[in-house]
Amino acid sequence: MLPFQIEKIYLDEKAENDWVSQAVLKGLPNTPVERVQDKRSLIKQYLSMQDPIGVGKTHLLLTHFYGRRLKPCPGTSSHICCGYHVINAMTNCPMDCSYCVLQGYLNNPFLTLYTNWDDLLQEIDTFLSGNFGSFLRLGTGELSDSLALDSIFPISQVLIPFFAQRSNGILELKTKSDEVDHLLHLNHQGKTVVSWSLNPQKMIEEEEIRTASLRERIDVAKRCQRAGYPIGFHFDPIIYDEGWEKEYSETIEHLFSQIDPKRVIWISLGGFRYLSKLKGIAKERFPNTKIFLGELFPGKDAKFRYFKEIRVEMYQKMLGWLKGVNPDLFIYLCMESQEVWEKVFGWAPKNSHHLNQLFEKRVREFLK
Amino acid sequence: MKPIQKIPLEQIDLSDETFSVNFMPDLQRLRSSIEERGLIQPVLLREKGDRYQIVCGFRRISVYHELGNPEIEARVFKEKEMDDLGLFCVSLHENLTTRGFNTLEKAIALDKLVHYFQIDPIVLIKTFLPLFSLEPHEKILKTYLSLARMENEVKSYILEEEVSRSNIRILSHFNSEDRMALLPLFSSLKLGENRLREMLTLLEEISQRDQIRVKDIIHRPEIQAILSQKEFTPSQKTELVKKGLIDFRYPKMRQMEKGFEKKRRDLNLPPHLSLHHQPFFEGGGLRIEFQFETMEEFRSILSSLSVLPEKKEFQEMFEVGKDQSIAHSL
Repeated sequence: MLPFQIEKIYLDEKAENDWVSQAVLKGLPNTPVERVQDKRSLIKQYLSMQDPIGVGKTHLLLTHFYGRRLKPCPGTSSHICCGYHVINAMTNCPMDCSYCVLQGYLNNPFLTLYTNWDDLLQEIDTFLSGNFGSFLRLGTGELSDSLALDSIFPISQVLIPFFAQRSNGILELKTKSDEVDHLLHLNHQGKTVVSWSLNPQKMIEEEEIRTASLRERIDVAKRCQRAGYPIGFHFDPIIYDEGWEKEYSETIEHLFSQIDPKRVIWISLGGFRYLSKLKGIAKERFPNTKIFLGELFPGKDAKFRYFKEIRVEMYQKMLGWLKGVNPDLFIYLCMESQEVWEKVFGWAPKNSHHLNQLFEKRVREFLK
Repeated sequence: MKPIQKIPLEQIDLSDETFSVNFMPDLQRLRSSIEERGLIQPVLLREKGDRYQIVCGFRRISVYHELGNPEIEARVFKEKEMDDLGLFCVSLHENLTTRGFNTLEKAIALDKLVHYFQIDPIVLIKTFLPLFSLEPHEKILKTYLSLARMENEVKSYILEEEVSRSNIRILSHFNSEDRMALLPLFSSLKLGENRLREMLTLLEEISQRDQIRVKDIIHRPEIQAILSQKEFTPSQKTELVKKGLIDFRYPKMRQMEKGFEKKRRDLNLPPHLSLHHQPFFEGGGLRIEFQFETMEEFRSILSSLSVLPEKKEFQEMFEVGKDQSIAHSL
C-alpha cells in the first residue's frame, strides 16, 4: 500500500511505451489514467487553482524530460557550495514541508516521474567516465525526496546497483521517509549514501507534513547503517525559535544514542533560507507556519537568511554538540559565506572547489 | 416582460435587496442627471405578490424617492417569468454595460453568487470572474469572498483608498477586532500600497510571534507617542511608526544597529564623513563616504581618517563576533 494517495495518473502519450511507465501503471492498476497530448495546457489548467502545489501532490505525471538531467547543484553566488550534482529523475514530492523551496521553484505542480530512464543512466555514465580521476557526488534529493516515489517505481533499486559498479561516483539518497526495506538487500558496495534530513519532533509535526517522525527516521537510519550503507544527516533547515537549543541538542543526543558516529559519512548544517517568492506561497498554504517569524534578511544572492549573528550562534552550538559526540565527524555548512565558516569553524574553505576537494578526500577515506 | 409602464414608488419594496450589489453608491451625479434630464433608462422590476421587487435600478429609485416623485418608469417581469439567478444575471449585465462595478460591488456580487445562488465555485471562476474583468483564478475568488465578509468601515477604507488585492488578502488574515483597530491608525498616516503592505506584514508577524492582539501593538507607548505628536505630518508619522514596528519585529538587528550607532557617535566623525556597515551586517567590512569642496576640507577629512585605526570604537566595529570563534577541523 502506498504511504500516500495518487488520485490520478496523467500519461504523456510520448511516455506511454516506456518500460518505466508500464511498470508504474502495472503497480497502480486501480488508479484512473488520463492520456495527455499537451502537458503544457494541463499544467496551465492546474496552475489556476487555489493550491496547485497541494493538488499536484496527489496527481502523478509520467512524461519525458528533454535536456540535461544531470546538473551541478545551483548553489548561490558569494557562498561556498559543496559541488554536489543533481540527478533530475523526478520532481515534486508527496510530502509537504512548509519551507520546501520547490513550492516557489517548480513551474509544474505535479508529482512528475521522467520515464526516459535509459537516457538518464546513459547520461550519468558518460558524465562519470568523462570525469575519471575525480570522485563525484550525485543525488536525487534536490527536486524531490529521494525515496518518495520508490513505492510507485523503484528508482533507488535501479540507481543503487548502477552506482555500485561505478568507481568514481557516489550516490546520495536524501530523504525524510522511513521506507527502506527495499534497500536493505541491495548490493550497494558502499557507493550509496542514505541520508536523512533531521529536525526536532516538534518541528516535524508543525512544519513537515506527511513525513516520518524523528524516531522513525533514526530507526531506519540504524537499519541502513547495519546493512552497510554509509549514512549522512542534514540539519537543514535549522529553525531558530524559542527553545531551539533544547530541541536540537536533544535531537542530537537521541540520534547518537542509536547511531554509530564512526559510520556517518557527513553531516550538514544549514539555517532556514528562502527566496522572497516562497514566503507568499508558503503563508497561503500554511497559515499557521512560524518559520518566517525569525529575523531573516536578504543576502547578496537575494535569499533571506537569519541575521548573521543568529546563524553563527546556531552553527557554533550545533557544532559543539556534534563534536562533543565525536570530534571526527565530518560537518559542513550548506550555502554559507566564508565569513560565517570562519566564525563557526575558525577556518574556511578557500572556495567551493576547495570544499569539494575535502569531500573527495572524505569519501575516499570513508570507503577504505 | 410587460411594456414600459409607470409604477407607483409606494408599491416597490425598497427593503428587498436580493438583486442589489450596491456599496457606497455615489448618488450625487445621478441626482443631478435625473433633475436635469429625467429618467433616461427605465428600471427593471419583478411582480411579487401585490408589490414589486427591484431587479435593476436601486440607485435611480432611491433618488426618485428622495426627490419625492410618486412613480417611476419601469419594465416589469411577471412573477414566474424568470428565476432569481436569471434576474440577478440580467441585473449584472445591465450594470456592466452602463456604470460598471467597484471592488466592493464585485465582492458582494460574487458572495451572493456563491452563498445565495449556490453557484459552483468552478463555474463561478470560469464564467463570472471574467465577466468582472478578473482573472479566472480560485485565489482571486477567495480574496473577493473574504472582502465581502469584512466590516463596513473596513470596506469603506478599502474602497476609498483603493487598496490592492494583495493587501486585501493580508487584511483577511486578521480577525474583525484587529481590522477595526487598524482603521484609526491608518487614517492618521499616509499609506501608499507598499507602506500599507509593510505595516500589515509587520503587525501580522509581531502579533503571531508574540501571541498578542494587533490593538495591543498599536497601543504601545512608543507608537502612541508618535501618533500624538501634532507637529509631525502624516508622512513623518508613517515613517516613524514603520521604524517603530521594525524595531519590535527585529530586536536583535535593532540591538546591533544601536551598538553600531553608539560607536559611530563616539567616533565624533566630521560632518562630511560617514561610516556604514554592510546591509543587515551581512558580510564584513565597513564603507566610508566623504565629500569636500575645498582642499582644506579634504585635508581635514584625511586627518580624521588617519586617526580612526587608533580609536577603540573603530577597532570594535571590526571585532564584532570574531572573538567567539573556536577552530574545528572538518
